[in-house]
Amino acid sequence: MADLRRDPIVGRWVIVDTDHPNKPEDYEYEQHLSKAGVCPFCYGNEPMTPLEIDAFRDPSTAPNTPGWQVRVVPNKFPALQIEGDLDRRGIGIYDMSNGIGAHEVLIETPYHNKDIPDLLNEEIEKVIMMCCRRAQDLIKDKRFKYIMIFKNHGYAAGASLQHAHTQIIALPMVPKNVMEEIRGAFNYFQYRERCIFCDMIRQELQEGERMVFENKYFVSFCPFVSRFPFEVWIIPKKHNGLFCHLPQEEIPALASILKETIHRLKKVFPNLSYNFIIHTSPANSDTDGFEGYHWHIEIMPKLTRVAGFEWGTGFYAVTTPPELAARYLKGIN
Amino acid sequence: MPELRKDPVIGRWVIIATERARRPDQFLSESGQNPPEKPCPFCEGQEAHTPKEIYALRPNNTPPNSPGWELRVVPSISPFLRIEGELERRGKGLYDLMNGIGAHEVIIETNKHIGNMADLSEEQISKVITCYINRITDLEKDQRFKYVLVFKNYGWAAGGGRVRHSRSQLIATPVNPKRVKEELMGARRYYDYHERCVFCDLIKQELSSKDRLILDIDGFIAIVPFAPRFPFEVWILPKRHSCDFTSLQDNIRIDLGRVIKLTLSKLKKGLNDPAYNYVIHTAPFRRQKPGYWKTIDNDYHWHIEIIPRLTRVAGFEWGTGFYICPLPPEEAAKFLREVEI
Repeated sequence: MADLRRDPIVGRWVIVDTDHPNKPEDYEYEQHLSKAGVCPFCYGNEPMTPLEIDAFRDPSTAPNTPGWQVRVVPNKFPALQIEGDLDRRGIGIYDMSNGIGAHEVLIETPYHNKDIPDLLNEEIEKVIMMCCRRAQDLIKDKRFKYIMIFKNHGYAAGASLQHAHTQIIALPMVPKNVMEEIRGAFNYFQYRERCIFCDMIRQELQEGERMVFENKYFVSFCPFVSRFPFEVWIIPKKHNGLFCHLPQEEIPALASILKETIHRLKKVFPNLSYNFIIHTSPANSDTDGFEGYHWHIEIMPKLTRVAGFEWGTGFYAVTTPPELAARYLKGIN
Repeated sequence: MPELRKDPVIGRWVIIATERARRPDQFLSESGQNPPEKPCPFCEGQEAHTPKEIYALRPNNTPPNSPGWELRVVPSISPFLRIEGELERRGKGLYDLMNGIGAHEVIIETNKHIGNMADLSEEQISKVITCYINRITDLEKDQRFKYVLVFKNYGWAAGGGRVRHSRSQLIATPVNPKRVKEELMGARRYYDYHERCVFCDLIKQELSSKDRLILDIDGFIAIVPFAPRFPFEVWILPKRHSCDFTSLQDNIRIDLGRVIKLTLSKLKKGLNDPAYNYVIHTAPFRRQKPGYWKTIDNDYHWHIEIIPRLTRVAGFEWGTGFYICPLPPEEAAKFLREVEI
């Protein structure tokens, strides 16, 4: 008999197949393999990107030249544009707005073929620091209500370029799912006067069966109500709503757990494509100062093709229970 | 300048990314990398390869699970949910769970090895519609179920697996799915304020602006929605207000069959036979909690949503509910209007 499990935050039901769970070798996934070609993100190809916004580079090197470790440039094909005032209007029953926002690309490494597990901890720390720095800078712009930081790794995960990069999108409104999460966390907070994510961390640490990795400041686990097989969340143990307020001393721990978690996923699934999203509190909005939200990272391996059932209902079916996925990721099986 | 558009029913914002826009004909499906087909268990003569049939259209009164049928319904061989047992809800610390009670059936739409529903006749599609209605009505009798979802995964990229035989699936669930609830709530909010159905208003506006209209025939329209999540997303809506797909009268099922065939044929011809999903959005069973859905007959409007799978959905779109559509819906509609069948 399968389980139906309900997400305690947003109330989504998920079917978890505990009867005939898929093992890793049962997934026919599209492997992310290296292709040759000219890459605009490679070291030495700086003139091929729009002018850089920020970078960590060796002193005495000029912007848009070699000598960098991490580089942020505007997206060449931005989904949103930075110039202009927000102009909301209606057309009959429909509402719309012009596409004001920012769309930046953070190039994580000068090397073409390296993914996060291949980088040194110090290199990943720089990526994290730069994500925080860009988010802090973008929220100064009062037009932006949400800074979305995410990564598409591999063609199957929606990446158009192979070279490791993270995207940063500043939005003039809060995305629907984030708003739902915040409302869910708010309801729980009002009822219990505790953060639901803090409670979740406590329960996961206590039960242990979904835990993947833990260090001084972070835990990673397969959530009880995973939507995708081998989904993993990374959450800071210390309550904090905004990712960009990440304390300096937690950065090395985050780099290490990110590296370790993705390394374990890729050990089970060679050449895996995946997405991750940083879920954080909105900025410049009436939720400012709300205590019940807790930033975290959700990693979604691309192992299955989402079908009509999921589209139509928001009702997901997971073919590997998170408890079993966690065992594989811990190397127990 | 890109645009942000809001879905009027569920309030989801979508970016229409004009900067990265491609022309409609640049979205053609690349189906070259599909894995090889498996032997087909759904063809006439292969009845022994499926679980025992639940329902069949057998004009010659042939015995069950033998040849001679036009359309057949069987339980899924790898069901998400099981039909046997009592519903049992429980908690586990912070979390809630229940056992996986439900029904998961496969509707084999034809006895011939035809892959795409677009290639079935109008009459055959109308028989499929009747079959959906019969199965939903039958499952409604089971008090454990609250909703029946009817959907189709066609092609590998749409989750259709390695058997290319036209079929749909239905899943009866013991809870109302979240996405369905959101749509119902959105429609109800609109009705509370305007005392009109949001879908009826949407149909009127699409008929008068015509920018996003693909077809307007026989009491149905096919449109590209104002705030689509995907390029060439298409909705089919009945012009006549009704919240419940199963209330569709016998004599207009052939009209719906025609509209579905035309729409799917335009997608097939115009976009090089893309993989697609479709989902029937209809009201939940309305027997439970009297008064809970007190205006649902007025405020909700059943329809079909079709999603061609032409682009890779990035995980962040799943994660955030924030979609970037690289093709303005007006261009998609114009392209599909001009595909001649």
